Amino acid sequence: MIVLGKKSVRYITIIATTFSILWLLSFGWAIQNYYAGASNNEIKKQVNPKTIENKDQAFTIVALGDSLTRGTGDDSGKGYVGYVIDDLKQRFNGHVIVHNLAINGQVSSQLKEQVKQQNIQRQLAFADTIFLTIGANDLFQQGRTLENFDSAAIKIIKQNFIDNMRIIFADIRKVNSDAPIFFVGLYNPFFEADHTGVTSPTVHDWNRTAEDMSSSDPRIVFVPTFDIFQLFVNDYLYSDKFHPNQQGYRLIANRISPFIKWEGEGK
Amino acid sequence: MNKLIANEMMKLVARKRLIVIGAIVGILVILFTFAQYKEVQTQRERLGTDDWRDSLQQQIIDMQNRLGSNRISDEWREQIQVSVQQLQFYLDQDINPNEPGAVSFVRMFIENSTDLFIPLLIMIVASDLVSSEHTLGSVKLLLTRPVKRWRILLSKYITLLLATSFIVAMTGLISYVLSGIVFGYHGWKAPIITGFVVEGSNVDTSRIKLISQWKFLLMDFGLVWFVAVVVGTLTFMLSVLIRSTAQSMGVMLASLISGAILNNMVSSWESAKYLFMVNLKLTNYLNGISPPIQGMTLLSSMLVLLVWWAVALILSFIVFTRQDVY
Repeated sequence: MIVLGKKSVRYITIIATTFSILWLLSFGWAIQNYYAGASNNEIKKQVNPKTIENKDQAFTIVALGDSLTRGTGDDSGKGYVGYVIDDLKQRFNGHVIVHNLAINGQVSSQLKEQVKQQNIQRQLAFADTIFLTIGANDLFQQGRTLENFDSAAIKIIKQNFIDNMRIIFADIRKVNSDAPIFFVGLYNPFFEADHTGVTSPTVHDWNRTAEDMSSSDPRIVFVPTFDIFQLFVNDYLYSDKFHPNQQGYRLIANRISPFIKWEGEGK
Repeated sequence: MNKLIANEMMKLVARKRLIVIGAIVGILVILFTFAQYKEVQTQRERLGTDDWRDSLQQQIIDMQNRLGSNRISDEWREQIQVSVQQLQFYLDQDINPNEPGAVSFVRMFIENSTDLFIPLLIMIVASDLVSSEHTLGSVKLLLTRPVKRWRILLSKYITLLLATSFIVAMTGLISYVLSGIVFGYHGWKAPIITGFVVEGSNVDTSRIKLISQWKFLLMDFGLVWFVAVVVGTLTFMLSVLIRSTAQSMGVMLASLISGAILNNMVSSWESAKYLFMVNLKLTNYLNGISPPIQGMTLLSSMLVLLVWWAVALILSFIVFTRQDVY
C-alpha cells in the first residue's frame, strides 16, 4: 500500500524518471542495433551441450515418411504409429518415446533431404526402432498417375525412388546401424475406381522392387499392406478414397507391433 | 514547473491508478504462467522427453504439415514458411529459442502485450488525466491560478510520460518476479538470434546477429515504451478534446481493437500502413516476423507513429490553451 506522502510521491517520480531515461536509451539502441548490419562476431557453432541420453529408460521410436505415418484419415488422429504405440506402452509400462517426423505429401526426394538434417540424425541415432512409409506420393502423384497412365514415366519415377531410398537407408545406417526399420509397402487405393486394371500390377511391381532393394539389409522389415485392402478396399479406406481409415490403420499396426521387442520389457 | 509536476504526480498516486494497474498485471501474469506451465507439461507428456530439440523438431514438423493443407490462405502459408525456416535455423545452430526461465517469459509477455495490453494500461491513466478535471470541476481551480495554461498541460503530459515509463517497468518487474516462482529466475544470458531478413516466404540469414537475451529484452522494452508513449499521447489528446473519460477511452479502445483485427486482414489494403494501429507491433521487426503489409519496415512504422504522436501533441496543446471552460 502506498501511503500518500510527499516522500513516496518523490520516490515514484525518481524511479519513473530513471526508467524514462533507460527506456529512451534502449529505444535508440534498438533502432541503432537493428540497422547496424551484421556484426563482426560471427555465430560460432554452439558446442553441443550434453544430449539427454534416455536410451535405457525408454523405448524410442522415430517415424518417418508421408501422410500414412502421420495418420491422415484416422478420426482419432493416431494412425498406425499411434496404435503401435498404444500397444507398446501397455507392454513396456509406458516407457515409450515417439518422434513422428512424417510430413503430409512427402516424396522420397524430400525425405532424402530430411534425414540429412543434423537434429534428425541425432534423433535417429537414439532410435530403438524406425517406421517408414514413403513412395505413395511418388507413384500416385495425387491420382495423376492413374489419369494419364504412362508406363515409361512410371519406370523413371521408380528408378528415382529406388535411388533415393538407397541414400535414405545409407544415411540412417550411418548414424544407427542396428535399429530395425519397418518399411511399410504400398496398397492400391484405386481398386474400384480403376476400370482398366493397370494400377494393381503397377503397385505390385513397385512393392517387389522396394522389397528387393531393402532385402540387402537384414534389419529392414518390409511390411506388406496390399493384401489388407485387396478384397474390401472401401471398408478400410477413409472418405477421401486414398488414406486408410481407423480400421485400416489398426490392421497395419497389427502387422508391426508383434515384432517389436525390447530388453527393458517388463521392468 | 517542478511543483506542478509534483502536484500531478500526487494526484496520480492518490487515485491509486498504479496499484490497480499492478494488480491487473499480476493477475494476468499468474494466468499466463499457469497456462505456459501446463503447455510445457502436456508437451512433455506427448513426447516423453525433456529435450527441447525434440519438441522444437516436432513443432517444425507440425508446421510443415499445416503447410501441406490447401485450406490455408497464402499469407498464413508465407508466415508459417518463415517461422519454419527460423526455427530450423535455431535448431541447426543448436540454440534453444525458448530457453526456459523467467526472462524468456518476460520477453514473451511483453512482446505479446505491445499492441493491446500495455496500451490498455496506459489508457487507464491517460484517458482521465485532463477530462477528470472537467468531470470533477476542479479544472476551474487549476486554471484560475496565475500559471500559463500550456504549462499546466505540459506538467500533465510529463506526468503521463513518467507514468508510462513506470507502468512499463512495473509490468516487466511483476512478470519477472511472479513467473520466476515457477520457471526460475534465469535466462539472462541465453543467446537470441536477431537480424532475420524476411522477403516474402524466404528468410535471409546472412545478416544474423547473436545477442544475449538481456540485451534483446532491453531493446524490446525500448520499443514497447515508445509504442506506449504514442498511444498514451493519443489518448491524452482525446481526453483534452472530448473531455469525457469514458468516451475518450471508448474511442481509443475501438481503434486499438480494430488495429488487432486489421492486422490479420489488411495485407491487400496498402494505405492502411499509415494508420497508427497496424504499426504497434514494433518488436516483430526484431524477431523477424513479417509485417502485416508488404513494405513496412521498422523505420516506416516508427515514422508513422512519430507523426501521429506529434499531431496529437500539437493538437492537444492548441485546443487546451484556447478552449472555453465553464
